[in-house]
Amino acid sequence: MAVIELVGISKRWGQVSALAPTDLRIDDGEFVAILGPSGCGKSTTLLLLAGIYAPTAGEVRFDGAVVNDVEARDRNVGIVFQSYALYPHMTARDNILFPMRFKKVAREEAQRRVRGVADLVQVGQLLDRRPSELSGGQQQRVALARALIKEPQLLLLDEPLSNLDATLRLSMRTEIKLLQEKLGITTILVTHDQVEATTMADRIICMRDGRIEQVGTPDELYRRPSSLFIAGFIGAPPINLIAGRAADGAIAVGSVVLPSSGASGQVTIGLRPEHLMIGETGLAGRIGQIEPMGREILYVVETDIGYVRLLEQGSNVAHAIGQPVKIGFLPSNALVFDTATEKLIAGAEVRAG
Amino acid sequence: MTAIVIAQPAEAPAYDWPKLAAKARSRRRTQNLLLYGLMVLGALPVLVPYLWLFTVAFSGRTGTSTLVLWRTLAVLLPALFGWSLLRLTMAPGRRLHMLEIGLAVATIALLAVLTGPYLHLDNWRFLWNRDIADTLKGASGVGGTFPSVWTAFGNSLFLACAQMVIVISVATLAGYYLSRFDFRGRPSYLKGLLVLHAFPAMTLIIPIFLMMYWIGLLDTLTGVILIIVALELPFAIFVMKGFFDAVPWDIEMSAMTDGASRRQAFRMVVLPQVKVGMLAIAIFAFLRGWEEYVFVRTLLTSKSNWTMSLYLFWMRDDLMGTDYAMVSAMGVFYVLPSVVLYTFMQKYLTQMTIGGIKG
Repeated sequence: MAVIELVGISKRWGQVSALAPTDLRIDDGEFVAILGPSGCGKSTTLLLLAGIYAPTAGEVRFDGAVVNDVEARDRNVGIVFQSYALYPHMTARDNILFPMRFKKVAREEAQRRVRGVADLVQVGQLLDRRPSELSGGQQQRVALARALIKEPQLLLLDEPLSNLDATLRLSMRTEIKLLQEKLGITTILVTHDQVEATTMADRIICMRDGRIEQVGTPDELYRRPSSLFIAGFIGAPPINLIAGRAADGAIAVGSVVLPSSGASGQVTIGLRPEHLMIGETGLAGRIGQIEPMGREILYVVETDIGYVRLLEQGSNVAHAIGQPVKIGFLPSNALVFDTATEKLIAGAEVRAG
Repeated sequence: MTAIVIAQPAEAPAYDWPKLAAKARSRRRTQNLLLYGLMVLGALPVLVPYLWLFTVAFSGRTGTSTLVLWRTLAVLLPALFGWSLLRLTMAPGRRLHMLEIGLAVATIALLAVLTGPYLHLDNWRFLWNRDIADTLKGASGVGGTFPSVWTAFGNSLFLACAQMVIVISVATLAGYYLSRFDFRGRPSYLKGLLVLHAFPAMTLIIPIFLMMYWIGLLDTLTGVILIIVALELPFAIFVMKGFFDAVPWDIEMSAMTDGASRRQAFRMVVLPQVKVGMLAIAIFAFLRGWEEYVFVRTLLTSKSNWTMSLYLFWMRDDLMGTDYAMVSAMGVFYVLPSVVLYTFMQKYLTQMTIGGIKG
């Protein structure tokens, strides 16, 4: 268990910057997700923490002590790779036992720990198999057991769920979350899947192009995304982004004029599909497509400002393709972004009117 | 909403399933027959010389009698043909098995009757008789007595093994470094490796001779070993680099976070993944050393340094005409270790493509 700090950390490969100077603090026992598209520097951050990469500048601190020069093998960090990185020539037992070979632990004690940790992740029956004889989910568990056996002070998970099928991903998600709560290990999850991040983590660090875009709880990122990028990244189905022009206390969107305050110039209005509703008044359009998703139904509505996605609760398809509808929304749910800077305009709002 | 109507044919065509199945079976059979025929034809030019070597080694007396070869072929070819027919036409089972055993017994019996009277081991006298120079028809070109064939065998074995050990060690370490580390001039180094392999080594023979003379390694096995190592290494390094490239970084990083040092990670985790590559390199290096002729012929002069290829060369070099029968026996003796090696190692060599890592 440890408090992890990154102070002005950066990583360059020759002329290419993989990570811009970054500051970050992760509290003891916290579950943090680093979220971002591929190539955003999230894996680099992970490997910097593990000690595989040396930072170009800045400091990595564990519990306040600078560990920049501490080798990976001495950092006591557990890591689960996307590929699981099991040693193919060893049985599951030897894989899990591997970290113990470098510790002065008695043979019986090591074996006892293997059984303990294997039972924890439910692979007790599979210990004599080789990785090639295990399914993806089982390999994942073995990799988790191997990371946990040395009782790490920091657990790093690099896209651990992306190679699993959908149902397994769901159950592993819950399992990892429960395990982390039970063991209280400071955990960092790297993922490009926003659902994984929002469902598992206490806090999300959203990254883009080697820098941190926003840090916050899943709820904060969902409600007040600081930029168009995050607004588009968090939430499924994705947010509707509608171009408009703000002037004189109003935003003109196509033929519709919305009363507003705090914004001027070219803006982009963000409206989540779940915040839109079909009603008596509002933006006129025609239903172009219907996608039933079980508990809710996604309508794609053709309007004169483009396609708008709209999510309606319930499982009854109440509208037909081609039907003319009017789309309304609660003004407080609208997000106003500056189109040029792509940032959320603080204080800007759309008013009822 | 408009319903989409797919046009229905007036009446469904009648399918004669048994007939179609019979057609497919007969086509498969013809295809197999053609394939086997082609393979046999292709293999004959390779196999017949070896068969010649083998039959003459056990039957030849003087001159080049091919009687046994033709008789063997006359028995073996129909037997092989019959066996292929059996395999192609009959379902696998007890009956096929019994027929196969019967065919094998008949073939062996026929061979024993037709060729048995001609077989003898006299041509193998070089194995136990040191003074074969005297038993050759004329004075051998080398003059005087021959060293024991076992000396040559030992020399060849030493040459091949020492060379193999050096090539594996250096190629493995160099291949790992080239695969994992970046350093100034790495791309040109890699290109250089391939170019080096492209040069015909024969062009170097005079400079190498002079170099060995100056260094003082002329007429030593060590000198030859070093030269073959130098010539073999570029390709071996390149192959090993390829094998290391296929080992994911992840497992190495994983080992290091698990508490291993870089060297331990290499030894405990990476090396086991490239075992097949090392084995392949080892076999090729061994065979290269075992068959070496040009450099041993040029650089080794003492009889005590003769290798198998030199022994064979001097044995053939008889002023009164070559004793082909004994040369053939020697040839079979020379080929034997390679055959044994291949037989035992082919299991691993064919695994080469399966050796990937499941992610």
